Amino acid sequence: MAVPTSQHSESKEQTPGSNFLAWIRRTGVSIAGPVFAVVLAMVAGGIVIMITSSGSLSDRFSAAISAYQALYQGSFGSLQSISFTLVIVGPLIFAGISVAIAYRAGLFNIGAEGQLAVGAITVSAIGLHATHWPGWLLIPTLVIAGALAGAIWGGIAGALKAWRGAHEVVTTIMLNWIAFYVADYLINGPLKDPNLANSTSPLPSQGTFPIISVFYNNTLGTFLPKIPTPQTYLVDVTFIFAIVALIVYWFIYARTTFGYEIRVIGQNPKAARYAGIPVRWNTFAVMAIAGAFAGLGGAFRLMGQFPYYLNGSSFSIDYVGFDAIGVALLGKTTAIGVFFAALLFGGLRQGAGLMQLNANVPSDLVFIIQALVLFSIAANFLPAIQRAWPRWLTFRRKPSLAAAGGDVAVVDLPEDKNEKSTDAVSHVDNSTEEE
Amino acid sequence: MFFQVLYRVLTSADLWQAALVFGTLYLLPALGGLMSERSGVVNIAMEGMMLTGAYAAVATAEATKSLWVGVIGAMIAGGLMALIHAVVSINFKANQIVSGIAINIFALGLTNYLVFIQTQGQGLPSLPGALRLPTISWGPLANIPFLGQVLFQQNIIFYVALLILAGIQFLLFHTNIGLRIRAVGEHPQAADTAGVNVRLVRYLCVISSGVLSGLGGAFLSLGIAGIFSSNITAGAGFIALAAVIFGKYTVLGTAGACLLFGLGNGLAVRMQDTGISPYLLGTIPYILTLIALVGLVGRTTPPAADGIPYEPGTE
Repeated sequence: MAVPTSQHSESKEQTPGSNFLAWIRRTGVSIAGPVFAVVLAMVAGGIVIMITSSGSLSDRFSAAISAYQALYQGSFGSLQSISFTLVIVGPLIFAGISVAIAYRAGLFNIGAEGQLAVGAITVSAIGLHATHWPGWLLIPTLVIAGALAGAIWGGIAGALKAWRGAHEVVTTIMLNWIAFYVADYLINGPLKDPNLANSTSPLPSQGTFPIISVFYNNTLGTFLPKIPTPQTYLVDVTFIFAIVALIVYWFIYARTTFGYEIRVIGQNPKAARYAGIPVRWNTFAVMAIAGAFAGLGGAFRLMGQFPYYLNGSSFSIDYVGFDAIGVALLGKTTAIGVFFAALLFGGLRQGAGLMQLNANVPSDLVFIIQALVLFSIAANFLPAIQRAWPRWLTFRRKPSLAAAGGDVAVVDLPEDKNEKSTDAVSHVDNSTEEE
Repeated sequence: MFFQVLYRVLTSADLWQAALVFGTLYLLPALGGLMSERSGVVNIAMEGMMLTGAYAAVATAEATKSLWVGVIGAMIAGGLMALIHAVVSINFKANQIVSGIAINIFALGLTNYLVFIQTQGQGLPSLPGALRLPTISWGPLANIPFLGQVLFQQNIIFYVALLILAGIQFLLFHTNIGLRIRAVGEHPQAADTAGVNVRLVRYLCVISSGVLSGLGGAFLSLGIAGIFSSNITAGAGFIALAAVIFGKYTVLGTAGACLLFGLGNGLAVRMQDTGISPYLLGTIPYILTLIALVGLVGRTTPPAADGIPYEPGTE
């Protein structure tokens, strides 16, 4: 969303040096909000630890520090823990793209988890009935089926929004729960493995993805130095596909007509209609694409990770689809932002276990930190503080008719370009409902 | 065979009693959500507020050894959660959906965190009988066949919920205050011009949604389950949200939807001998709500200003 403004300011700059400085400045301004949100949440999480631990103030402080040390150790502290983190990050990137691409069109896809669930359950259902298929046929079939199932699930919400005006937040919540229950039914019923409790049978082995390090040793490793003990680095090729997906996502929104059109729809649906953009069709299409990305996440997660089967009620308590909302918002819906936000959220998830083990701080702290990140992004604290600051100093007037003029002057900060892009969604909700 | 079972189940007092219990569970947060939405603040956080209430009820009841302090504690805790939603979405004009999601995540994390700290990961024990919400038996009325069991041997919260239901219907549609609430939800600019304090009305409505959801949570942990376990609400708050929409943002419609969804819940438990999966029956509330949204049985329209932060001085 920052793209149009950045191109604009680029044209004004003259020398390469000032261009670079302007780039630094722009980047700084656009990541200030997310960084501030994360720092604020981490500090608040530390305060939570300090409140709930015992001893003197310095004991409490060191408890918080050691908890965060363990969190770091468990997530990025060693090559092995990084590989565990990337296991979580892969599907999270897919789900994050799902939320982000819909957000660009002004749609709020709460349904990534449900789309992920139908993707995974479809893969499971097909995989168990095609046990004799060769791998070169089975793997593409499963991947396409997962994407299609997700696309249908997302497309339903898109179609209801486009042609019936049903709010996508409500429909995706409903579709989520339908997906959870249907998945539970299938896992405990038709797809249940007779020898496992509440689980489907594992996928046939030719339908699963290899671990990156094993894959490397078997291919490039025949010429180049091999990775010792490849089995300890659990990250599978899902992560590589996730990077590819990010590039595809970037290409869609930055380099295609469709990407341009959904951005216009997201920022001003009325203008989009005047410009002859097929708003309804694009609304449907973007939700279907969002669903496809989430469905792929579900498919890859099932196909990439041991034990390659689905467990009873694995989706209603799953958090990937909801972390994805934080990932998309924290990453400001850009491809690179989604990548780093997914690293952060995946790292939090992965490190939480060690934090609980070593520092005796419940892993649920991660939920609290993530919620605080979301609050901070939603409330846009940083610009809000910036805006409130001079107002306290200068006018003490009640904001009324006169303040409308004052508001415009105060908001004219460099920050305000980013701020508008996040405000766009609430704005859109307003105008699309008038259809 | 199937219809025989269905007939037997539908005419059993057990089913209708259970339907009213679940209906009450959905009704309290649904009425809260309705208040919030009617005042123009989207609330998808009833789940989190309920969960907070369910935990706070058990924690305060255990700490004070008093049932009713527990219930009040739940309402306060739910109200505090709602206060966060109110501050973030009214003062900071945040995206109300993001704020709602954040509250749901926050509540899940906070309750699990506190339970872990309290019990070192063991989980809270069941509550003693004295700390459970009592069932009220209306003397001779309770002996009426069928109706006695369904209507006159219910948990005390059922009767409280009926009073609240009547109270909110009266408040919203038969008083000055209700007119103001609805005006704020439909056209805050006009309401402001007419001298209504838009922020105050929205604050009170959002907080009341938390208080009612907290009470619903207390009913769940102190009344139905007798224990607090992780994520005990398991989507009840979302069914309440569905009920508000299915009930077309009216009080009586919402109550009807809650009863219907509660009946579905009761059926899910009792229809197992017919071979219908309880999981599939569990999807019914959501499918019905989708159908309502599609407009096959009359279109659902939210209040006009629902979800839009109010900017004084704008058109």
